[in-house]
Amino acid sequence: MKPVKEIVKNNPLAGWVLFLLTVVVVFLLGMLASSIIERRAEAVFAYTPLLSFSENEPNSRVWGEAFPREYSSFLRTTDTTFRSRYNGSGLIDMLEEYPSMAILWAGYPFSKDYRQGRGHQHAIEDIRNTLRTGAPSGDTPSPLPNTCWTCKSSNVPGLIAAEGAAGFYRGTWEKRGAQVTQPIGCADCHDSRTMNLRITRPALKEAFEAMGRDINSVSHQEMRSLVCAQCHVEYYFNKNITPDVQYLVFPWKNGTTLEEMEKYYDDLGFSDWTHGISRAPMLKAQHPDFEVYLTGTHASRGVSCADCHMPFISEGGQKFTDHHIQSSLNSISRSCQVCHREETSRLVADVYQRQDKILENRKILEDMLVKCHFEAGTAWEKGATEAQMKEILNYIRKAQWRWDFAAAGHGNSFHSPVETGRIIASGISMAAEARLRLSRLLASLGSNNEVLLPDISTKEKAQSAAGLNMKKLNEEKAVFLKTVVPEWDKQAGQK
Amino acid sequence: MLEKPSPPSGWKIPVIIASGIFTGLALFSLYISRATSYLGDNPETCVNCHIMAPQYATWYHSAHRGKTNCNDCHVPHNNVFNKYFFKAKDGLRHATIFSLRKEPQVIFIKEAGAAAVQKNCIRCHKDLITDSRLLTVNTEIVSSRMERSCTDCHRETPHGRVNSLSAVPWARVPLPESPLPHWLNGEKNKRSRKQNRN
Repeated sequence: MKPVKEIVKNNPLAGWVLFLLTVVVVFLLGMLASSIIERRAEAVFAYTPLLSFSENEPNSRVWGEAFPREYSSFLRTTDTTFRSRYNGSGLIDMLEEYPSMAILWAGYPFSKDYRQGRGHQHAIEDIRNTLRTGAPSGDTPSPLPNTCWTCKSSNVPGLIAAEGAAGFYRGTWEKRGAQVTQPIGCADCHDSRTMNLRITRPALKEAFEAMGRDINSVSHQEMRSLVCAQCHVEYYFNKNITPDVQYLVFPWKNGTTLEEMEKYYDDLGFSDWTHGISRAPMLKAQHPDFEVYLTGTHASRGVSCADCHMPFISEGGQKFTDHHIQSSLNSISRSCQVCHREETSRLVADVYQRQDKILENRKILEDMLVKCHFEAGTAWEKGATEAQMKEILNYIRKAQWRWDFAAAGHGNSFHSPVETGRIIASGISMAAEARLRLSRLLASLGSNNEVLLPDISTKEKAQSAAGLNMKKLNEEKAVFLKTVVPEWDKQAGQK
Repeated sequence: MLEKPSPPSGWKIPVIIASGIFTGLALFSLYISRATSYLGDNPETCVNCHIMAPQYATWYHSAHRGKTNCNDCHVPHNNVFNKYFFKAKDGLRHATIFSLRKEPQVIFIKEAGAAAVQKNCIRCHKDLITDSRLLTVNTEIVSSRMERSCTDCHRETPHGRVNSLSAVPWARVPLPESPLPHWLNGEKNKRSRKQNRN
């Protein structure tokens, strides 16, 4: 065969053919490369909706345009019709159900009003309606700080980003009435760019730091619980971090068990309030849902909050996370039965059995605590001294902290029945110790008779025994809801 | 005899440049398609094509995640040549269909693939079906043992019932990220999209 040089020299057409062939091959290769690039770009963009809102967009409807399924399931948290044996999605007046709570919280806002909150969509409405936030108007401030808004709204991440945590907490509750108007929503848990879960509340980050853990190096599965733990935890307001600010802190420095948190408070000499009847330095357990869950069997097997409370759902052939956050008792087939292949009635019976048995002992402790408070009140009346009362009041503090820890959590008796049972048992022994010492003290003060309790059989009677003027509180609240709240909404709408 | 093709001396430089362009483009195609990844067994290779995301996600959430990768079930393991022959045959067909955008909305396994899977079920779970206590001689041995495949009954193992391309839109799957180096795509200091995908 002749060299190419020769062929081309003798036949110029062959040169052109060679040239064109190369052009075609390179052209096709380019097309192939381009196709691969296109499909790789698809992988990046196909699963990322076009987003045109800011990092902390408070309005969930805006996010919802890109995530219609998640958003519409999230809207179902407005539902108030579900009722289980002890809880549900509607407002339940707990003081009506357990009037003695008004005595246990005498001198603390919870004795005025404690209604079981509704779904996330009602967060703003519920905090405006509760008597605990008071009736601020004109020069009368709310008794509570802005810190109370922290867990109520998707406006909060933006406000904290702009003003810092302490800046956001500063001032009384009515100051941000017109700024915080969106209920809990997308921005609270999601990164606007990647939709990854994110922590927006500084208190949780700070609590992790205090424990020496890094919240940025947790797994996705842990995040599916930690976004809930931004709010569903025990907390208190520390007034010594920033002057004039009630700073939100989770008491986790020593750990997250009841005793570790108690030690934290004791070391700090902290009390939420001084009891109105017994003058004991009380602790109010908020809702240590996450902490109690951590001690349970589901947590130790790596089940997250979202696994049961936001189970997967299939609609139109698409599987996604149900954002109707609710009791698993209303989604048993998708929550429990994914792992437990048993009859629904059997599973429900298991839950109720735990709740019934825990409640049995919780009521015993509740009754003992009511007696503790009135007996301590009588001891003061009979002339007991501070020194004589100190130990007794400490027992009352510890016993009620245990009762509240068990009672305030939304699902404690199911999340961790053994731990909750243990807590109540140790509370009973402490209340018994307090009452034993009280009866000795009363005897030494010359009173050996049973302390007679006032009638606290209904919410009204208990509240008046706790020294509350409910008529006035209700009237003021009605005026507030009629005059101040519409003004807030108007201002928020103008922005 | 084929003589060594060599360009006229005056054309040498242009030809070197032209073949450089050709080779560069070919190398670029290999890089952009992650060609070398296809030699290994890493499951992430299978989501080089994003339409495999539902299959990856369902496997990832199954018990098989702990012991198997995609190739353990989906290519033959009787000998190494057959493994790579099958891989090449299947892979080229997948690549062609994917490039032509001819993929169906719901992907079903083909006969050859199903046969390979069946053999691989047996390869690992042999003890389950040869346990002497379970061996009986009966008239239905052919119809109920030999003619059926494991997945006739174990339909949800391991990919569940989810199989359409759009079935799990937000599944956390390690899809290939931008092929650009970080200093070029401006993501140098930004959070990686992949973060949290564990």
